[in-house]
Amino acid sequence: MRRFQIGDRVSVRDATTLFHHRTQSYVRGRTGLVVEHRPEWLIPEDEAWQRDDGRVEPFYVVRFRQVDLWPNYTGLESDTVETEVAEGWLVPAAEETTS
Amino acid sequence: MMPSPSELDALQRRVLGLAPEPAARLDSPYWITNDSYAVLRHVLHDVGGQPDAPVPYLDKEEADWELRTYVLCEVLAWRGVWNSEVRRRAENDLGATLYYGLPYYGRWITVAAKTLVDKGLVTVSELAAKIDEVRARHGAGA
Repeated sequence: MRRFQIGDRVSVRDATTLFHHRTQSYVRGRTGLVVEHRPEWLIPEDEAWQRDDGRVEPFYVVRFRQVDLWPNYTGLESDTVETEVAEGWLVPAAEETTS
Repeated sequence: MMPSPSELDALQRRVLGLAPEPAARLDSPYWITNDSYAVLRHVLHDVGGQPDAPVPYLDKEEADWELRTYVLCEVLAWRGVWNSEVRRRAENDLGATLYYGLPYYGRWITVAAKTLVDKGLVTVSELAAKIDEVRARHGAGA
């Protein structure tokens, strides 16, 4: 059962990383939009040590606005970047007062 | 269009100005700060957003050894020795000097060898002896 639906706003947890991960540091602690579901798969933190009976999670394609990722972004306001994130890295985005 | 060497030099100087080389020499210090530890444990392949100079793009064909490395690594996966995520993790485990010092497929073949040794499938002595045998066959110097 998936926790997030397409269109949900999600934040990437700013968790400690060690040795190997696939959650880019530039998206950790940032908020984006779920735009696609990807199949369940063994998460990289287990697959990278060949724990074939490890944790399987749904993956999501999350779209971020470039201006939300880079403090001095000089490109267009509408520029975005998408990346794949395992469910365990995501939390619902906190309620925002401005859009 | 590729920047000229002097343009590249100018860009490199600008980037170095933005991200100066750390003055502290890394030589097994007695203690480090938490900030230093955060930098040191940064996972190597997570390069997005790291300041760097532009690199000229070389549109090159794979050499035979590169194609053979690719096939060897796939075969090791089919035989259950590893998977591509284990390979990427093993590349991070090489440490910054080897990770950035080796060509792309040089990293692959190095970690394939390392993984076979780590898993006890070959001994490091067998591997070294084979390298010496091939080196002798090709008449290479020591």
